[in-house]
Amino acid sequence: MKVSYFETGRYRTPDTVPGVWPMPPGVYDAQAGADVYRGMVERITLAEQLGFDWVSLSEHHYSPRILTPSPPMAAAYLAARVHKIKIALLGPIVSHANPVRLAEELAMLDTMTDGRLIVGLLRGTTNEALTYDLNPQESRERTDEGMELILKAWTEPQPFGWQGRHFKYRTVSVWPRPLQQPHPPTFALGTSREAGDFAARNRIGLGVSYGPFEVMGKATGYYRDQCARHGWEPTPDQIIFRANIVLAETDADAQRAMEAYPARAAFAMGASVANALLELDTRNIAGEARQASVNRALPINFVGGPETVVEQIRRCRELTGAGVVDLGFNTPGSSDPNALIAALELFGRKVLPRIRDI
Amino acid sequence: MSFQEHWVEADGFRIRYLSAGDGPPLAHLHGAGGLRINAAHELLSRQFRVIAFEMPGFGAEENTRTRDMPELAATMARAAEALGLTNFDLMGTSFGAKVALNIAVRNPEVVRALVLEAPAAIRPAGLRPPSGAPDVIARMLYAHPERVPPLPPVDPAQAARIAALTTRLRGLDREPDLEARMSGLTMPVLVVLGTRDALIPPEMGRLYKDLIPNAHLIFVYDAGHAISAERPEAFVEVVGDFLEREDAFVISRANTVLLP
Repeated sequence: MKVSYFETGRYRTPDTVPGVWPMPPGVYDAQAGADVYRGMVERITLAEQLGFDWVSLSEHHYSPRILTPSPPMAAAYLAARVHKIKIALLGPIVSHANPVRLAEELAMLDTMTDGRLIVGLLRGTTNEALTYDLNPQESRERTDEGMELILKAWTEPQPFGWQGRHFKYRTVSVWPRPLQQPHPPTFALGTSREAGDFAARNRIGLGVSYGPFEVMGKATGYYRDQCARHGWEPTPDQIIFRANIVLAETDADAQRAMEAYPARAAFAMGASVANALLELDTRNIAGEARQASVNRALPINFVGGPETVVEQIRRCRELTGAGVVDLGFNTPGSSDPNALIAALELFGRKVLPRIRDI
Repeated sequence: MSFQEHWVEADGFRIRYLSAGDGPPLAHLHGAGGLRINAAHELLSRQFRVIAFEMPGFGAEENTRTRDMPELAATMARAAEALGLTNFDLMGTSFGAKVALNIAVRNPEVVRALVLEAPAAIRPAGLRPPSGAPDVIARMLYAHPERVPPLPPVDPAQAARIAALTTRLRGLDREPDLEARMSGLTMPVLVVLGTRDALIPPEMGRLYKDLIPNAHLIFVYDAGHAISAERPEAFVEVVGDFLEREDAFVISRANTVLLP
């Protein structure tokens, strides 16, 4: 089992700030923001020393929850400060992006990191549709098309034009090309039938997240079935399971930490907008409809002391086939950097050595 | 705009063609499945005088005379000449793109610009033209058969006759002579491939770019082999723009002002 540390670049929000999305920029403390970026370097340096395989970054906007609205920029900043750990962008939100620009930036990153880049391509959470005025009903199609265009831009040796539905270019001719050929390890991120179909058809990996192992196993099972239909079999390294972890010295300590975990997202949208989004944003798990996640806190999939967490990771592997767990070290540690460092060290000391053979 | 049926004599063949529109002439050569007017023809006829030929042997009449691809190309060049087309745009689809290329390399003075839709002038080894029931053929031609009007029923005897004709005329998967001549083409050439083409891998488009000095390569996203039938608006937008502006079609004219 490989392990990825999900660096969220979380900003410490004063209690006096309302928990809304979008968060008013006027409450932002520039010095606190600078501390976030310094802390990121400190944590990923530690993660590298502890033997984590990857550090992952993600894209969110307009809130203190994840202070990396541009994951390629964060990756460039961090990649220059660590030397062995792989840098996983899980991921840039493709439905927002100019896919050609994204292909260029990711190829730059792969070259600058000496081939240490991992790429996950993401549709985006429901609230993100509001970020750049994206119609939530179009986000699935834009993501599928954008992903295909990125793969084509990386691999096509001749200049080409693109007659898409949502994107149109007369000339695409990307320089630099990725260092890893034909392209960096790439994942479609999502549980939907569409993500599984796309990943299988294009022989790339699949990343699932934040669901019970059994449910995520349906998505990865669908993906593996589709890969077989296309005549290939993904390796365990081609399935990522992203989740939150609450790790403490003992199960009892971890359970106490769980009691403080909120049921509602820390930064929630107004009810009328949230409800309207839920009507427009359709989601599924391997073809079975599910409601989009709006204003709900993300679940914790791994919770306990080291022994328990090792067994949970073993079970995750059995039920989802994932060969990479991408872990957000949440409470304790989401808002208190010292607690986060302690959780990372505990994981590195007592969990990491025991999951390598899973 | 509706297409009208006409006939023209060439090389002793009575060649059927369907025509519509009043603009500059655009001759079209169909694929191995024969002539079928689709939405792209209708859209193109708003901008061009579209002349969609039915090549000899691909309709009701049998063709036992034409021996090979260059002969078929010569016949179709004479059919265009008989219609008074001395300088025209030429579009070929799949098998018809190979015919069109053979016309262009031998009669470069009459072809103003060339459009190759899912061209089968360079084929993956072992490729056979689609055959079988209409739904089987549709799955080979389209990325999303359910979004396209069903193919008409086929008369098995006629289908077998056309398949034999195609096999006789289509030539080698790679034709050294044709490919050598392609490097001498000077007219602008547009190569269009669907990203979901199950017959001609879209990656083969780059071979035309390698061989033809003035070629442009366009991928039509989420289209199968029958691009113009599956995504007619996307196909016609780029073909029409290319034929109107030639190389300058790479310059966007899109108006992006949202709220003046």
